[in-house]
Amino acid sequence: MAFDTKTIALIVIALIIGLAIGYGVAAVMGGGAATTVTVTPEKKVYTIGFTLPLSGELSSIGKIWEKVVKLAIEDLNKEVQAYGFNVEFRSVILDDGTTEEKALQNVQSFAQQGIKVIIGPAASAQVKAVKSYVDSNKIVLISPSSTAPTLAIPNDYVFRTVGSDAGQAKVLATLAYQEGARKVVIFFRNDEYGNAFADFLKNYFEGMGGTAVKLPYQTGLSDYASEVATLASKVQSEGADAVVLIAFDTDGANILSHAAESDTLSSVRWFVSEGPHGAEELLSSTVGRFASRVRLFGTRPLFIANPLYEDFKSKMVQKFGVEPGVFSENLYDAVKLAGWAILRAGTYDGEAIRTALIEVAKTYYGPSGWTIFDNAGDKAQQDYGVWAIIPGGPKGYQFKDVGLYERGTIIFLEQAYS
Amino acid sequence: MGERLIPGIQQAVMNAFQYTLFYLIFSLPLTLSYRTTKVINFAHANFITYGAYVAIFLHGVLGLNNMSLAVVIAFLVTGAIAVINNVFVFTPLQKRGSSPAIIMISSMGLWIAYKYLLYMITDVAHYYTTKNFVSYGRITYSDVPRGSIGGIEFSQALVASLVAALLIVALLYLLLEKTKIGRAMRAVADNPLLAEISGIPRSLIVNLTWLVCGGIVGIGGVIWTSFSGAITPEVGDSMILQVFTVGFIGGLISLLRTGIGAALIATIENVGIAILNTYFGTPVSFRPFLTFATLITTLIAFPPLGAGGGLPYRFLRRGSKK
Repeated sequence: MAFDTKTIALIVIALIIGLAIGYGVAAVMGGGAATTVTVTPEKKVYTIGFTLPLSGELSSIGKIWEKVVKLAIEDLNKEVQAYGFNVEFRSVILDDGTTEEKALQNVQSFAQQGIKVIIGPAASAQVKAVKSYVDSNKIVLISPSSTAPTLAIPNDYVFRTVGSDAGQAKVLATLAYQEGARKVVIFFRNDEYGNAFADFLKNYFEGMGGTAVKLPYQTGLSDYASEVATLASKVQSEGADAVVLIAFDTDGANILSHAAESDTLSSVRWFVSEGPHGAEELLSSTVGRFASRVRLFGTRPLFIANPLYEDFKSKMVQKFGVEPGVFSENLYDAVKLAGWAILRAGTYDGEAIRTALIEVAKTYYGPSGWTIFDNAGDKAQQDYGVWAIIPGGPKGYQFKDVGLYERGTIIFLEQAYS
Repeated sequence: MGERLIPGIQQAVMNAFQYTLFYLIFSLPLTLSYRTTKVINFAHANFITYGAYVAIFLHGVLGLNNMSLAVVIAFLVTGAIAVINNVFVFTPLQKRGSSPAIIMISSMGLWIAYKYLLYMITDVAHYYTTKNFVSYGRITYSDVPRGSIGGIEFSQALVASLVAALLIVALLYLLLEKTKIGRAMRAVADNPLLAEISGIPRSLIVNLTWLVCGGIVGIGGVIWTSFSGAITPEVGDSMILQVFTVGFIGGLISLLRTGIGAALIATIENVGIAILNTYFGTPVSFRPFLTFATLITTLIAFPPLGAGGGLPYRFLRRGSKK
């Protein structure tokens, strides 16, 4: 028994000595680490979440946007470091397939990671799907491309660095009317974006003295040959002199390709919304030839002749070899605004960032122009340009901005089609 | 004269004809493969998509717009995929005594796996070329003629699919009716056990059937790139409903009724919707509904399952005997 007590005592003493040595070592090591921290303080990292349409109906423009995000994050980091902030912004990009369900999933997984600022999603239907979630979780959401007037809602967490389509519908109506169209068939996506756009367009066009007939089509189909045949019969039976197409990338290219095969549809004028602008599929020879034949014009949000935009455009071409398509500049500015709003808020908290964002936007000027928000959180100052598809460029055809909207009329800066 | 009653009917009729040819090329192999192998193959959708993407990668990455080359390569690629599916998935499952339902579910797994594999490949291709392969514009081919004969416009897709459909139907007829291999295929289809006992190398015949079926659908996929305005990795998926409906009209047994089904579905989808739209103002977005309605009507009007003689009873009898 005595032996046992001795052994136990020895073990206890050994343990105490061991603990003491351990603490000593830890203190020395810890002390060492602490001194290095004071020499170079750790960089603060902020993550911005992106839900982009890298596949699905907006994939063509989504692929370009992925590059815009890269450029914008790089520029933002350079800029804040030049101002002496020891912070770094990082991007997490998730693909939402241009669908509502995946956009919501992405936003939820960002929220789980503690991300408070999300840029995207692209389509209005998607923004509508995630709106209640971001509002109730106080996450600031900035869409660079959602334009449905129905989403212009004040005092929420959804911001849009682009003007609502109430403005663009007026421009597109003016364009069609000024080009001589008096009776148009509006062929539009049967979704949040298409329905609202078509309603506004019809109102404006009929206000000018024209007639407009609406024809919606189902989205997400593999092919639109049968829809285009119905459009042709509508144009013929109504005696319309123009078609106004409100579409995205994949569906827009598909519809134009099939329209090129129809004599009826090749003999009327075509006007297109901003959706398909920048999509590579539209530069195929089928669509290119068709565009020249029907003198196709489109509208898009653009502040033409802005030196910052020209600068941004040449940077994109130089760095990635691609021209920025529609909304690229709005996305670029959304990233910059998000970054500066986080810094201005001083804390990574949704409510504070929201307030800061409104203030930052008042004094920020970028490739998309002056970014001040109206009381619904949409870009208040939105200009519009007119685009065409003309021969040239490495793909045989290219997009070209040929005009702008000013005080109720379209002014052409150059002749697009001979 | 129809022109006055239904404006633009001509294009709807042309579309119906064009779609008949596509459905024929896509559905005949489905029926043939089910007949011989008893597998309800959902990975059938991949054959369409991969066929189209062979043409797209040849065009987008290598800059080739030669349809005959694309057709040959697509036949080999999609045929090989079909054989691989059979050798590594269906046959091992069958050997372990899996029910046809399990094998059908495994084909759904393959379908999803191949789809996302293609997304990965398109991403790699995008990295090297900066082109968007997830949505690709129509390809104009250098070796397919086009033009109009007697006021009817023959697009490249129409010419190619007409030639392909005629050749496929003729060659399938010759193969099945006039050759030893074809007779062996039919023997395996009618009674696999008896065929094996009488000395027909069953697994070889089944693999050969898969090669031919997968390959033919791949050819259809190539031709689709000259027709559709924008092709995505989902193209086969969104067509699988129609292809299966056509197949069910043939009961997955009769090749002739499959052909009739192709014409029926194509007409309903194109001419039917045009008439409904003109006279009743039915929205164009009703089109997928019509296909579904036809599918359900077919199944109810010709029980059990399909006009060609009843799939599940044949199916169950064979499965339970084992």
